[in-house]
Amino acid sequence: MAKIGVFICHCGENISATVDCAKVAEVVGKYDGVAISLDYKYMCSDPGQNLIKKAIVEKGLTGVVVASCSPRMHEPTFRKACAEAGLNPYMCEMANLREHCSWVHEKGEATTQKAIDLVRTIVEKVKHNQSLDAIKVPVTKTALVIGGGIAGIQASLDIANSGHKVILIEKDPSIGGHMSQLSETFPTLDCSQCILTPRMVEVAQHPNITLYTYAELESIDGFIGNFKVKIRKKAKSIDEKICTGCGLCTTKCPNKKNPSEFNEGLGNRTAIYVPFPQAVPNKPVIDKALCTYYTKGKCKICEKFCPAHAIRFDQEDEIIEVPVGAIVLATGFAVKKTDFFPEYGYGRHPDIITGLQFERLASASGPTLGEIRRPSDGKIPETIVFVACAGSRDEAKGIPYCSKICCMYTAKHAMLYQHKVHGGKSYVFYMDIRAGGKMYDEFVRRAIEEDGVNYIRGRVSRVYEKNGKLIVKGADTLLGAMPVEIEADMVVLATAGVANEGAEELAQKLHVSYDPYHFFAEAHPKLKPVETNTAGIFLAGACQAPRDIPESVAMASGAAAKVAGLFSQDELTREPLIAVVNRQAPPVFSSCVGCFLCMSACPYHAIEKEEIKNRQGEVLKTVAKVNPGLCQGCGTCVAFCRTKSIDIQGYTHEEVYSEVMALLND
Amino acid sequence: MDDLRKRAKELIDTSAVKVVIGYEQGTGNKTRALFVENSEVADKLIFDSRCVQNLAAYVTKQEVKSKGKMAITATLPVMRAIIQLASEFQVNDDNLIVIGITPESKIIDFKNLEEVETYVHQFQIEIDARNREILDKLDKMTPSERWKFWIDELSPCFKCYACRAACPMCYCSRCTVDFNRPQWIPVSSNELGNLEWHFMRAMHLTGRCVDCDACANACPLAIPINLLTKKMIEDAKSDFGGYQPSLKGENLLSTFKPDDKENFIQ
Repeated sequence: MAKIGVFICHCGENISATVDCAKVAEVVGKYDGVAISLDYKYMCSDPGQNLIKKAIVEKGLTGVVVASCSPRMHEPTFRKACAEAGLNPYMCEMANLREHCSWVHEKGEATTQKAIDLVRTIVEKVKHNQSLDAIKVPVTKTALVIGGGIAGIQASLDIANSGHKVILIEKDPSIGGHMSQLSETFPTLDCSQCILTPRMVEVAQHPNITLYTYAELESIDGFIGNFKVKIRKKAKSIDEKICTGCGLCTTKCPNKKNPSEFNEGLGNRTAIYVPFPQAVPNKPVIDKALCTYYTKGKCKICEKFCPAHAIRFDQEDEIIEVPVGAIVLATGFAVKKTDFFPEYGYGRHPDIITGLQFERLASASGPTLGEIRRPSDGKIPETIVFVACAGSRDEAKGIPYCSKICCMYTAKHAMLYQHKVHGGKSYVFYMDIRAGGKMYDEFVRRAIEEDGVNYIRGRVSRVYEKNGKLIVKGADTLLGAMPVEIEADMVVLATAGVANEGAEELAQKLHVSYDPYHFFAEAHPKLKPVETNTAGIFLAGACQAPRDIPESVAMASGAAAKVAGLFSQDELTREPLIAVVNRQAPPVFSSCVGCFLCMSACPYHAIEKEEIKNRQGEVLKTVAKVNPGLCQGCGTCVAFCRTKSIDIQGYTHEEVYSEVMALLND
Repeated sequence: MDDLRKRAKELIDTSAVKVVIGYEQGTGNKTRALFVENSEVADKLIFDSRCVQNLAAYVTKQEVKSKGKMAITATLPVMRAIIQLASEFQVNDDNLIVIGITPESKIIDFKNLEEVETYVHQFQIEIDARNREILDKLDKMTPSERWKFWIDELSPCFKCYACRAACPMCYCSRCTVDFNRPQWIPVSSNELGNLEWHFMRAMHLTGRCVDCDACANACPLAIPINLLTKKMIEDAKSDFGGYQPSLKGENLLSTFKPDDKENFIQ
């Protein structure tokens, strides 16, 4: 016979202002199987929890219903309290009287009646609840970090420094990411390379970090604590163990006219190349798509000159499989190129460039050695126009969001220009200046007030060429939308930050959800910013949304803390609220008929085939089996199962049915 | 017909299969299923236009399966059902041989299910003109008129489950309606219970029904229950791009395709 304790919480006045809690307790107290029913001002407080514990011990309760806030708030609190009093925690359920009743209704009889109905359904459910035990799974204490930009570097170092192994993979020949391309960084104007390269070297030297550059994720299997990942190490066509990184090959390669990715197409590179001087590892790779030997069948000049004989033209992609316990996604972002903008000439004019290209022009390691020169004729621009929000916050362009970093880097660009080109004129067209952040607004004010950058609030409708000048047509909305026309020598577009190409495929591979713009989605926008919906996979940096360096680094450390927390235990405890396929006595074994529709429906690949064999090893029946480590308890398989052979523990057919019937049979 | 008998004898005599499932003359002007386990019985095999029962319903029955490897005489709807069953892991090349019968009553010897699939894929599942007319009429009704139509049609049903027994896709060892802890679908035949049963059946057949009409043919009260599954075939076509039974096991409702017009399931 069930002995249920019902505990009605006032939640201060949150519930009691509209619900007559004493009446709810009184009415529910008379139901069959309810041994005690009382109300209290704050059930989550220590005295409140003690009321529950005392009742469990004194009345010998078999189940507990706490009618208070959403279970997302305090379910762990009350389940823990019950466990402390000796009751299985999964015999405790919550009725949501706050979000589902008191907050959304006026004070009145009907509101109290609804509260009674809600409590009654949960009482009926608890009568059918079964004791459950937490699931324990072992943890592989190695983390995989995907992406070697600043976020990936920071996450790798933090995890490695907490004593765990890290595998860092980067698709390019060197780690460093976008940060290595930047000239200076806001708001301090310190050199990007100077602060980044020590971290890159630290990664290379760290005993806990295995670095695979020129490598991509091939496939993933498994679940939190127990992933199995396959990594494709793309053929570099050199033997890294022998190569000394002397760089002779890159000077001898005759195939020199290839646009350099690192310089955003403003400079050239050879087919065998090291992306930039401080690259880590500082060893070249052969770009098979460009190399004359691979495309035309002869050349091999690099092989002839290599003093270490390290060139390997016959090298093939290698796929390695490694077990990892957690994954940090730090794949970064991309920026829209100028060809995205018909109003700014479709990228046809060489002197209309992106912000990232401007970074390369301003960088000492860039194609102009840090002098601001026009790509078209190498002249120093006397008038330069910066266009903020190029693509961002533009519904018509399909990018309604703010790219966040552009206000700051545009101020930085204008400032750098003024510092480098004395007497030059700079204009910034902006929609709003979004400079939230420590020392950020001061930085923008400095650009305007000290460096004399002209800020014009308004958008640029068109840029076109006339007599060797770029005519920038815009409006000044602070002067009543007065048309503005500027004859510029160069135009820099702060183009929108967008998700990386291939982000969607990667997300699907990893079963990580993503937003409409293909940025990876965090599990909760406020309280779980670095977690994803897939347990054990975390996010860092701009793969989640456009982020600046301080935010990316903070996020990376956050993700690393989550990984370290996960790795602090040898076993992982998981909620047992997962799907289970029934088992019965022979000769039926299970009501499952093995159609495996559940298998194709399961978004987590948690369903396997299990062969039931006799003692001779003959297969008697093949039925579905749920992997408890992978199952997230979503219930899709339950809906698909025609034979009703699958139940979600904690939400079984019987439990849900009794809830529904309690609501219907008032 | 001689070809069919010859082929059946050959399969039995060479021990290629233990049983051949076909049709024989029944009582009255009806045909019924015949299970040929020795070559003398093979002479009873017939095939003509009266043979519309979907024999695929037998290949999942334990009583037939336990005899050993089976062969089945299969018209197009039967072949479709076989492929769908194979995609649901109920039959395979190791336990079933298909003797195909063309609309011209010609025998096709299939080497394996892949060949059967290739044959089946030449033909789309299409609703015939007469039923399409009825479906259009139902579509034009107001919800309350349609509700009344189905209450009127389904209320005589006394749940003999002949539809379920005749359906090749209803092979579950425990039907939803037999699930009684809890009893989601009431077993008694009343207005609501009948609706629930038939709607549930139509839902379970969505993306799987091979449109063989076996359910409606089996109904002793001639209730047009196949209209429900036909409507689901129409909806599957308009909302999900339609389906063909396939050995790849791509179930219509659980498989996401990149070119799906809806992207919510990604």
